[in-house]
Amino acid sequence: MKYIVRHLNKVRWGVLMFIVGMLILLPYLHLYQSYEAAHAYDLLAPNEKVIYDSMEWLSKPFVKDPEHDLDNLKGTTWSGTLFGLKLSDPLAVVGQISAGRMIYWPFLLTALIPLLLTIVFGRFFCGWICPATFIYELNDNLAAWLRKIGLPVSKYKLDKRMKYYVLAAGIVISATFGMIAFAAIYPPAIIGREIYYSIALTGFSTGMVFFLFTLLFDLMVSRRGFCRYVCPGGALYSLLGRFRLLRIKRDVTTCNDCAKCNVVCQFGLDPLRDNFSQECNNCTACIAVCPTDALSFTLNIKDVKFQGPGHLGHEYKREIGSNDAV
Amino acid sequence: MKRRNFVKAIAATGVASLLADNVLAAKNNPSLRFVRPPGSLSEDDFISRCIRCGQCGEICPNRCIKFFSFENGVASLDTPFIIPREQACILCMKCGEVCPTGAIKTIEREMHSILDNVKMGKARVDVNLCLSYQGKTCGVCYRACPLADVAIRTGMLEQPHVLDGCVGCGLCERSCIQIPQAIRIIPDHTRKQLKG
Repeated sequence: MKYIVRHLNKVRWGVLMFIVGMLILLPYLHLYQSYEAAHAYDLLAPNEKVIYDSMEWLSKPFVKDPEHDLDNLKGTTWSGTLFGLKLSDPLAVVGQISAGRMIYWPFLLTALIPLLLTIVFGRFFCGWICPATFIYELNDNLAAWLRKIGLPVSKYKLDKRMKYYVLAAGIVISATFGMIAFAAIYPPAIIGREIYYSIALTGFSTGMVFFLFTLLFDLMVSRRGFCRYVCPGGALYSLLGRFRLLRIKRDVTTCNDCAKCNVVCQFGLDPLRDNFSQECNNCTACIAVCPTDALSFTLNIKDVKFQGPGHLGHEYKREIGSNDAV
Repeated sequence: MKRRNFVKAIAATGVASLLADNVLAAKNNPSLRFVRPPGSLSEDDFISRCIRCGQCGEICPNRCIKFFSFENGVASLDTPFIIPREQACILCMKCGEVCPTGAIKTIEREMHSILDNVKMGKARVDVNLCLSYQGKTCGVCYRACPLADVAIRTGMLEQPHVLDGCVGCGLCERSCIQIPQAIRIIPDHTRKQLKG
């Protein structure tokens, strides 16, 4: 069990890569479908033939009638169709309710499964599914490298509560103007769309410009700044996952106070002092980096209070030592 | 950023967009003639319902659905549209099936439900441009129409007459051999605007 938990971070990277890969694959499958529907293979341009052939090879084991069967897999993480099951981001539902000022039940129900998962796993979407996270984490690696060569990157800290104001402002703007404002500033929605635009339509659109600015914001201002301080989806997930069941816990008897967990946490949390809070997205990076396996999952709806310094650390040994002397 | 400044920035954005109402919804731009996907709600309802997930475009087998950037104002950002002359709708009704929010209604692919529910626009013939009205029998639009004799009929010399059944799919406009096209879709939202 411990072995599996230690390597969950790699599993998470696998999941993220799979999701980004699917977002890239789906537009190509759509192109293949449209070529198939046109029944005109001979009229395709050479590069279109390459797409047709490769997608045919890829999808052949799974579908009989690609023109219709591939309709079962559409959309992005913002809202998608998975073999007849429609799934949506809870933020899409919140935005849509405020923009339309009415509740459309079939759409509300599409967010039910993500909502239940969020209540159990907390802000897991941000770490495990969000396709923008994949790029933001790579961007953070770049930031670490830039820091190493001596550039002053992402060194500021802002107020974590800012994103809740963004969420509230987004709801107000959506309701006032009758349009879903979140869709324009929510990175996973933008990424999903823009990948589709760039592959199947004319190219990147305005959303990509915004996304590049968020990458710059992360580099110049604050580490993973957009996710931590601005993202309205992160705010919603944090609120929903406040009393999440599954959370990370530090075992004080095996902790040696090395603080690697605090360094590796991109959300700037404080695992060393048992301070995970609602911001933790269960990404397991701290578990993977812990040299003494002191961090692991636990089922509890609240974080434990600060348990004191780790028993393998110097501070604790000093305390014990002084006790022995008495 | 301080919280006070942040709230101020939000308020300023709100006021600015209130002032620039025609930026938000550039409704007075007749040169941009687009229709919404088949089964879409009326323009304002559509914009408030659509969550910009892009699935309608992703499922369209004819790849006629494109997405706005800022051409039609901020409110239309990333919403789907069709330019009939570029690629017209074939009324396959898949976009309505896949739309999660009901911004595009789910409509059965059957003539009567399409006639009742699809309101993309109406075709209009420009008799000064139409070849059949110039004595050269053509009739291409009639033959392209998926609802022939319900949406369009031909008279003498294949002269097209648009009927009330026209749903505005735009296949006639797409197929018109005259340049510029002699038959055009007047989008539903434009028609409503013209009626007042």
